[in-house]
Amino acid sequence: MTPQIELIDVNKHYGSFHALKGIDVTIPKGQFVALVGPSGCGKSTLLRSIAGLESISGGTLKIAGEVMNKVPPRKRDLAMVFQSYALYPHLSVRDNLTYALRLRGVSKAERARAAEEVAAVIGLGALLDRRPAELSGGQRQRVAMGRAIIREPKAFLFDEPLSNLDASLRVRMRKEIRAIHDRLGATSVYVTHDQIEAMTMADHVVVLRAGVIEQQGPPLDLYARPVNRFVAGFIGSPAMNFVPATVVEGGGAVRLDAAGGAEVAVAGRVEGGRRVIAGIRPEHLDIVGADTPGAFALTVGAVEPTGSVTYVSSDDEPEILLVADGATRVRTGDRIHVAIAPERVHLFDPESEAALG
Amino acid sequence: MRRVLNTLRDGVGFDTLLVIVALTYLLLFAGLPLIYNVVISFQHVDIFSLGTLFHPSAGWENYTAIFTDPLARTVLVNTIVFTLASVALQFTLGFAVALFFDRQFPGAAWIRGLFLAGWVMPGLVVGVLWNWLLSGDFGVINYVLEALGIIDDPIFWRSDVDYSLFSVILANIWYGMPFNMILLSVGLAAIPDDLYEAAELDGANVWQRFWTITLPMMRATIGAVLALGIIFTLQQFDLFAAITSGGPAGSSTVAQYWSWQLSFREFDFGRGAVISVLMIVVVLAVALIYVRSTRAETRL
Amino acid sequence: MTPVWQDRLFLAIALALAAIYLFPLYWMYVTSLKTGSSIFAVPPEFLPGAPQWDVYTGIWAEANMPRYLWNSLVIATGVTLVTAGIGAGAAYVLARYRSLWIDAVLFTVLMLQVLPPSLMVTPIFVGFSSVGLLDYPRLAAILAISAKTMPFFIILCRAAFLTVPRELEEAALVDGNSRAGAFFMIALPLARNGILVGALLIFMQGFGEYVYSASLIADNRLQPASIGMTNFMEPNVVNWNSIMAFAATYVTPILAVFVILQRQIVSGLTSGALK
Repeated sequence: MTPQIELIDVNKHYGSFHALKGIDVTIPKGQFVALVGPSGCGKSTLLRSIAGLESISGGTLKIAGEVMNKVPPRKRDLAMVFQSYALYPHLSVRDNLTYALRLRGVSKAERARAAEEVAAVIGLGALLDRRPAELSGGQRQRVAMGRAIIREPKAFLFDEPLSNLDASLRVRMRKEIRAIHDRLGATSVYVTHDQIEAMTMADHVVVLRAGVIEQQGPPLDLYARPVNRFVAGFIGSPAMNFVPATVVEGGGAVRLDAAGGAEVAVAGRVEGGRRVIAGIRPEHLDIVGADTPGAFALTVGAVEPTGSVTYVSSDDEPEILLVADGATRVRTGDRIHVAIAPERVHLFDPESEAALG
Repeated sequence: MRRVLNTLRDGVGFDTLLVIVALTYLLLFAGLPLIYNVVISFQHVDIFSLGTLFHPSAGWENYTAIFTDPLARTVLVNTIVFTLASVALQFTLGFAVALFFDRQFPGAAWIRGLFLAGWVMPGLVVGVLWNWLLSGDFGVINYVLEALGIIDDPIFWRSDVDYSLFSVILANIWYGMPFNMILLSVGLAAIPDDLYEAAELDGANVWQRFWTITLPMMRATIGAVLALGIIFTLQQFDLFAAITSGGPAGSSTVAQYWSWQLSFREFDFGRGAVISVLMIVVVLAVALIYVRSTRAETRL
Repeated sequence: MTPVWQDRLFLAIALALAAIYLFPLYWMYVTSLKTGSSIFAVPPEFLPGAPQWDVYTGIWAEANMPRYLWNSLVIATGVTLVTAGIGAGAAYVLARYRSLWIDAVLFTVLMLQVLPPSLMVTPIFVGFSSVGLLDYPRLAAILAISAKTMPFFIILCRAAFLTVPRELEEAALVDGNSRAGAFFMIALPLARNGILVGALLIFMQGFGEYVYSASLIADNRLQPASIGMTNFMEPNVVNWNSIMAFAATYVTPILAVFVILQRQIVSGLTSGALK
């Protein structure tokens, strides 16, 4: 089946600045794809290139099988939700929703019906005659959504649509957007800097850094098998601990530079004596009894209870963070013993930062 | 052809077209005259040779004529005095009024706006009004000055060589003050109140607050207002036409008026162009300093 | 002193300052209503005794007021149309992009804004007369004045376009607008207020313009009211009541528009001037 959106070796230059470097992404119809990365990584540029708001300098962009490199945005048949919502302030909510239909010559009666329908979906029926300035942030966000779903575009593009909402609304809208996507059987590309949004919403996550795709795949694959230290640190919250270490003879374990030179068993096959970076997710470290096999000792530095869980960090340099049960009673200065399953320890090359083993 | 149409609708062609049209217009009706000005300053152009595009060459003759003209010295001094006195007083009075209205009492903004009524008037009408106000025998200004005991005999503002330039300066101060005031008001309003509050807590009195907070914070605005003041004052023409016509005996003639007089009263366009060229260099130099400094401050 | 009394004191001072400043305008209206002899009374009458309204009807016919005002209107309208029609688009582009080219254009515009008309009129007159434009004097004046007003208008409108978020146009592009469509349907309506204020200021400048009209329009029947006024003054130099009536008739429309739209004019003016 033809992919809905296909990017082949896409490059973008701004003068001497190389913003996108050899981007290859294939998005099948119906998939929800998240583009995620730190600010300046090129994720918005990539989205805007798909929309046609930026022209690409090299490579091929296909939408529904057609090459779109030089096609103006209006002929690409995409819908976009902007970070600022970009609602037309001089038009009512109704006219905002139906603006695209008006440009396509849809009759007035038809437009009115579509507006009512969409307003019901996004729950804004009573507000159709208001101006955007009279709406709350959440309502504006819904109008922006409604404006996108009123026609049946080839794909939806989202540019950090939730970043201007407060935390609780953000969590709710996350689910609503995904639900709408599923109901419409739509194809969506969603840009965010928030890896939790990417993980919770997307079928396929693309991690970008400095214009390069570091890794792409299903969210849990990225979590379980990051290909390098950057992806490992970016995906997952709180972030993975990175501890310099040396592989012991035989390769079955590493000796940490922290925690008094504790030895931790690993599953990966790496030759003995090699310097590595050990990556340990805070939620994979368990506090155990001193006599547990494979356990090692830490001195507690800071303790931050949140209620549900408690963040415990060691007084090592670099510190090692772990997520303990909310009922834990450890205090600063305590000696505790922790353990981790060998297959959960990630190893990275200190130079190339690529995953080992 | 299709590609051209497409870029006009969807590409940068549309934007380029918009700029090109305006730029072409400006270059045609401002840029070209600017160059042509230099050309005719080296030519003999009188009422008979007007109709042709090319006129007999004059070499440096027009320039020597201007520099050796007995009026040149007076005009130079008048231009400097007119500009400096106008700008200094427009600015000082404008700043004083702006500071007064910065106190935000009820009605302040509205009354402040009334001052701009002077600024929206046509310059020629302002000149005619001041012509009447400054009338020697029946002018209301002479009456007020006499009633207050400041002068004993009426001053013939417009016809006395000692006062003629001053009468235009007076009118120009009235005319230009509101513009200075409103721009300075905007600058004053942009200074955050908490700076003053912090200074007050630090023990600064009103006077010290003005010197240590207001003036330093207003530096960019003051520079812009002074530069704009010089530029606008060098453009002033209507007031001269309406009050003194440059007289008597050239005592109130400034460069921009002299240039016009040579061209349109004596029909010696070559010499008119000489003064025009010289003055435009001065105006552009001031504008250059202004544009460069404001760009550095506000990044446009 | 309580704040209330302080406010009242400031208000009183402010009114006094405004009264002193606006006295010349007051004097114009008062003089225009006096008889031919009472304008020379010593001491001057600061309040008009019996308003002489027939001065106005007198000069209306005698001084060809309708014709002069009509010409001023034609010139002001022409200048506004040319300036706004050509300038608004350029202002938009200058607000949208940042590049060396745009900076160069902006710089050119700023520099052209400062050229004094009384100095530019010499080359313009010579040039226009050699290409035959002076055969259409009002058109010649409109073209010359527009070159002077356009840079100012572009700077003002650019400030208005800068307040329109770029994303709105991008949303319109994705929604199906062409580049030109997004300009006309989104950017232009949203910058409307700034453009209108700019156009109004240009209209008032065109209505009161003197230098170019005086130099380029020789035919008395085509001259605007500013020249009409100087024409009228020469033979009537002692009839100050008539002259002031002429002035009052000429500027009252301008002042009326200003009083009604004061707030918009002031904010439009200040947003452009310092940028």
